[in-house]
Amino acid sequence: MLNRRRFITQSALATGALLVGPAMAKAAHLDDAPKRLTILHTNDVHSRIDPFPMDGGRNQGLGGVAQRASLIRRIRAEQDNVLLLDAGDIFQGTPYFNIYKGEPEIKAMTAMGYDASTVGNHDFDAGLEDLALQLGRHASFPMITCNYDFTNTPMEHLYQPTKIFRKGGLKIGVLGVGVELEGLVPDNLAGNTKYLDPVQQANRYAAELKHAGCDLVVCLSHLGYKYSSSNKISDLTFAPQTENIDLIIGGHTHTFMEKPDVLKNKKGEEVIINQVGWAGIQLGRLDFVFNKNRRKNLAVSQSIPVSEKTDN
Amino acid sequence: MFLRTLRWLFAAGLFLSSCRSAQVPTGAAYHDYRVTDSVGRDTVLSALLAPYRDSVNRSMNDIVGYLDAPLEKKSPQGSLGDFMADALFYMAKEKFGLQPDVAVVNSGGIRLTQVPAGAITRGRIFELMPFDNLVVVQRVKGDVLEQFLNLAASGGGWPLAGVKMGIRDKKAVDIMIGGQPLDRQKTYLLVNSDYVASGGDNAAMLKAIPQQNIGYLMRDALLDYIRAQQAAGHHISIPTETRVYAQ
Repeated sequence: MLNRRRFITQSALATGALLVGPAMAKAAHLDDAPKRLTILHTNDVHSRIDPFPMDGGRNQGLGGVAQRASLIRRIRAEQDNVLLLDAGDIFQGTPYFNIYKGEPEIKAMTAMGYDASTVGNHDFDAGLEDLALQLGRHASFPMITCNYDFTNTPMEHLYQPTKIFRKGGLKIGVLGVGVELEGLVPDNLAGNTKYLDPVQQANRYAAELKHAGCDLVVCLSHLGYKYSSSNKISDLTFAPQTENIDLIIGGHTHTFMEKPDVLKNKKGEEVIINQVGWAGIQLGRLDFVFNKNRRKNLAVSQSIPVSEKTDN
Repeated sequence: MFLRTLRWLFAAGLFLSSCRSAQVPTGAAYHDYRVTDSVGRDTVLSALLAPYRDSVNRSMNDIVGYLDAPLEKKSPQGSLGDFMADALFYMAKEKFGLQPDVAVVNSGGIRLTQVPAGAITRGRIFELMPFDNLVVVQRVKGDVLEQFLNLAASGGGWPLAGVKMGIRDKKAVDIMIGGQPLDRQKTYLLVNSDYVASGGDNAAMLKAIPQQNIGYLMRDALLDYIRAQQAAGHHISIPTETRVYAQ
């Protein structure tokens, strides 16, 4: 499919080499056609390499990296423009992590073709030296966070505040924010990491991404969806204070959402929030259509993609 | 001819990208996939993970004890948390050689929502308590203990052993320690994880209090508690009495 589409575009452009005028119009017309982007996402996988065991438990048979990879491969075969993102807490939760300190988790994410992740509080659990070691050795995807300053830590050169992805003529900007470390990550594990205000940092970098011409700005957030017993910042209180962010992919609170939330940001524009529980039990999917010179609309509807022709 | 076409293609491509106006998201649709075996298994990932799995299974599949009914994580009180608090209380007595007043497990430190009935493997206890947190004992004055129990109450109730209390307006009320009302002047022995005792989970009131620490992992306390019951010929005992209740 990808190759055929490329062939059609190239023929149109090649014709343009001979008949410049009309062919340019034709090429411009192709550029006007709606563009599509599929975002797949996980959060809080917590070292869940294998599905939950078949022991009569609530989650038995759910999750599993090889199973998720199979699903991702199938979706990629159907869609040209796919971004695969994770919102942190890759580590901790099964004996895989106690024994291997994150090596199989990071290797698997690289093999699945993850495009980016962000740093969750449990990604500090084996120490920043270990996180840096696993990422340096096994990750082909970046760790994106703009409110942890890792200067003078082993992570110093292994993270970035943002990244721009180019997919089928679209520019997608990704940034990341992490949860406050105080009272959550022990001092000896946090080391010299500085926690910066997520709203200030996110707005600063989201504006940069917008100015760089990004058509969609995605924020990977490990802030948590909602807190009922404290006024700690969460995606629900963060989103209304932001500008230029279109989508928040959340984590930390292990929240299974019935459907994504659509909130209004500081300028009254729509922001989508989504989170898919934990342990790789679910894979989230958001499909976007893009048009030129039209009004932005982020109202989400439910879709039944072709690749979901299996059990549920 | 071919080269010239390529050159033109390149030029046309540049031209197109430079005058390209912004794309606007005009529609969004969502779908959540349930990840199950029915979606198939990717052979590349299966092969990549097989050596890790084999070695994890070798060390984690031995059975340490048996459960007659599932243990559930619930708030303000649940059998899974109570079992863990009991394990800390009992093993602190054994390993530290002292008589604790209170044992606590922070709710966020319980990493499974349920342990099904039947055989319990070593791996299951690792999943329940994956952190390498240590069991520590602190001598805590009654008024500080009350503050700490208020924190537990505001979080919806944390598992406790040695305490009975109510929760009203997110505060601990009618606190009984070892069957006696809490005395703010008295000093109590509190068994805890080093994580919480060091101020984790917002337990700032405990941070400055010295900790007695013998390098004993909480996870080992759970395993030893189960083994001790098995050795005495019992299955894992499931606590049933009321400890923390909403008011």
